[in-house]
Amino acid sequence: MKKSGFFNHLLEKNEIILFWVIAMELVLFQFLGRNFLTSGNVSNIFRHSAEIGLLALVMTPVILTGGIDLSVGSLMGLCAVVFGILVKVFGIDPLSAAMLTILTGAMGGGVNAALVAGLKMPPLIVTLGTFSLFRGLAEALTRGSESYSGFSEGFLALGNSDLAGIPAQVWIVVVVGMMIWLIVHRTTYGRSLRAIGYGEEGALYAGLPVRRNLSIAYIMAGAVAGLAAVILVSRLGEARANAGMGYELLAITAVVLGGVSIFGGSGHVTGTVLGWIALAILNNGLTRISDYEIFGEKISSVARELSGLLTGLLLIAALALTICMKTLAARRVAKQT
Amino acid sequence: MENMGRAFVLKTLLKLTEIRKSFGAVKALKGVSFELRAGEVHALLGENGAGKSTLIKVMTGAHRPDGGIMELGGEEVSGLTPVRAQELGIACIYQQPALFPDLSVMENIGLRLEKVGIFHRVKWAMWRRKAEELLGQIGAEISPEAEVRSLSMPEQQLVEIACALGSGARIVIMDEPTASLTQKEQHLLFQVVRNLRAKGVGVVYISHRLEEIFALADRVTVLRDGESVGTNAVDGLNEAQMIRLMVGRDVETIYPTAEEEPGEVVLEVKNLACAESGLEGMSFQVRAGEVFGLAGLVGAGRTELARVLFGITPADGGSFSLNGKTVEIRSPREAISHGIAYVPEDRRRHGVVLEMAVAENITMASHRRWFKAGILRGGVETEAAQSFVEALGIKLSSPAAPGGSLSGGNQQKVSVARWLATQPKLLILDEPTQGVDVGAKGEIHRLVRELAKEGLAVLMISSDLPEIIGMSDRVGVMREGRLVEIFDNAHAEQVMAAALGSGEVAR
Repeated sequence: MKKSGFFNHLLEKNEIILFWVIAMELVLFQFLGRNFLTSGNVSNIFRHSAEIGLLALVMTPVILTGGIDLSVGSLMGLCAVVFGILVKVFGIDPLSAAMLTILTGAMGGGVNAALVAGLKMPPLIVTLGTFSLFRGLAEALTRGSESYSGFSEGFLALGNSDLAGIPAQVWIVVVVGMMIWLIVHRTTYGRSLRAIGYGEEGALYAGLPVRRNLSIAYIMAGAVAGLAAVILVSRLGEARANAGMGYELLAITAVVLGGVSIFGGSGHVTGTVLGWIALAILNNGLTRISDYEIFGEKISSVARELSGLLTGLLLIAALALTICMKTLAARRVAKQT
Repeated sequence: MENMGRAFVLKTLLKLTEIRKSFGAVKALKGVSFELRAGEVHALLGENGAGKSTLIKVMTGAHRPDGGIMELGGEEVSGLTPVRAQELGIACIYQQPALFPDLSVMENIGLRLEKVGIFHRVKWAMWRRKAEELLGQIGAEISPEAEVRSLSMPEQQLVEIACALGSGARIVIMDEPTASLTQKEQHLLFQVVRNLRAKGVGVVYISHRLEEIFALADRVTVLRDGESVGTNAVDGLNEAQMIRLMVGRDVETIYPTAEEEPGEVVLEVKNLACAESGLEGMSFQVRAGEVFGLAGLVGAGRTELARVLFGITPADGGSFSLNGKTVEIRSPREAISHGIAYVPEDRRRHGVVLEMAVAENITMASHRRWFKAGILRGGVETEAAQSFVEALGIKLSSPAAPGGSLSGGNQQKVSVARWLATQPKLLILDEPTQGVDVGAKGEIHRLVRELAKEGLAVLMISSDLPEIIGMSDRVGVMREGRLVEIFDNAHAEQVMAAALGSGEVAR
């Protein structure tokens, strides 16, 4: 263990593995793709995945408690529609509408919180229910087909312009990311989330406010889903009921890829960020490979399908690798003692 | 099976000689000898932790003994596994029957008696006939079609017994079978046990209730501290003798004694009740500087009382006051703010978060004391943890080491440190030395006495009789959710008698 300590340290840490994954992705896509590592495309990578990044960040505390929130994608849809209605039907200015939308998201998260923390229902089932509920509400509000567009230039700039050479919404992700990192790693609140994740009863016996803290995690997730919805509407210029469809799974994938235990307790926000970046690059990179074919189709034209497949492989491979490394390390330790 | 009759009576079925079993440093069995004859009910008696459960697990193959000889029908067996034990005719009936509640009685019996596989066809008629026959044999009036869920607890036990009989069991072990039965149901069960005896089955009967042992058993073996202190015919014993056999040893020497008079009343409990935890009419006081011990059998309601005081299952009747002020405590958080600390019984689940650092564990119940505005400060935390590590003599590599890397005794000290960090007025200790090696046990005893000397009111729950008597200034005894007696100068026999509820009989 001692002799090759540094090397082991490098390999055992999930975050280091992700670092290598990202590096490999960069090399591969630069080699195979067109215009991959251009400043315009790098901006695009982050611009297009900002919403998923936000969801992944705020999913981290929830998963640390041993819970899960499947409803954030649907809640984004509901929030997008609410935002569209507030601006286009009621004529409220975009900034106020954005605040109200975030509040709507927080209320949606509050529903999850009440059921999970208040009634002690399993988070998987609760958020599976609200997953359908929120999307259904969004569709009901738009009668299934209506969408809202024609937002002001100023508002659309949020999703489509740069600030100091970096996409505007990426700044928001950075700020939210720092906040979540501080909350998780530098507050007693974050500490208590871990304790809950390792054992809810144990946390209760330690006198931690389990219900309150669980509630906060789900409400936070809802509020940030509202924020993500506003950003998505601004980027696409359109508010539809299907906004954010499937995003919850991508966010969860990023978190788990980042080494946060799905059973709760252990994990780091930095891991989540790396997991998110790895996914974002994969999604973008495939669209850049137009010289090669797979099954008689240009890779860039089936990028969506391929990225799903590769995301799955990446997730399983990363987890398997981590487990293998741990087993190997344990075996080495066992041999030496 | 059918040919098993009185001819087998007095033949030795099972013989254990000098069985030993250790778990780490804890010696659960230090040489137990036990003999079971065909056609007898042999009671196994001993206080909590005397080694009864371990012995049963050795007999059923769940634990492999470290030493000693086990003979079945005169032949030595080694490497017994649960499956092998079943094949050899050893069956165990637990307090909570292990049946499938959604299946019918005959399905439960049939599944137990037959090999199960995808390609095995269910022979319904055979199963029904077999179930009827077996239930008939023990005189149980249960329909084979009844869903097990709809049966009462004793009926389920009867189904278990039928399974045991059906699998050709010659040895039936019953672990506190009457714990959850009413008087009437008990009699039904007793009748079945007597039937089994008449069939030549050897019954190992475990119970805390002395009157049951007198009513049912032929012989009794008493276990104490992992040793068998003797086997006697029940006819030749009276209750007092039996209690002495269970307790008998000197207690005084090793425990630190109180030096000062206790101070003012810290905790006053009046008529406390909690329906959810089955507590009724509890009244007692604990003073500053005093160790008040709570004795009783497992399930007497001691931990439940602690949980009520600590706000996990809030009280629904009566009241209690702290330092003369009546308080209502609805959550552990409120309990902590009122100066109540609870070191829980289940250390690994409730006492210490095994995956988290020792320092994190120590500050966990007192975040507000160390961290202003909820912001963690590593320096403060390490310093605080270090001071407790030194004060309590916790042995560890670093305060950043995970709690699970420590030994049981050190984990217990971390759990205590977590609660001392809250600066409590009342410290509730629930089985503080359970699963702790002898050395750490003595250290914890000295620590508790020292804390009392510093003016803490200590409420100590323990199933270790010498410990509770040696450590406590006063001892309260609980039985079936009530505080039945408080002794100023307790003797082991008195406490045991009160805990067993045989006091009334003796008087």
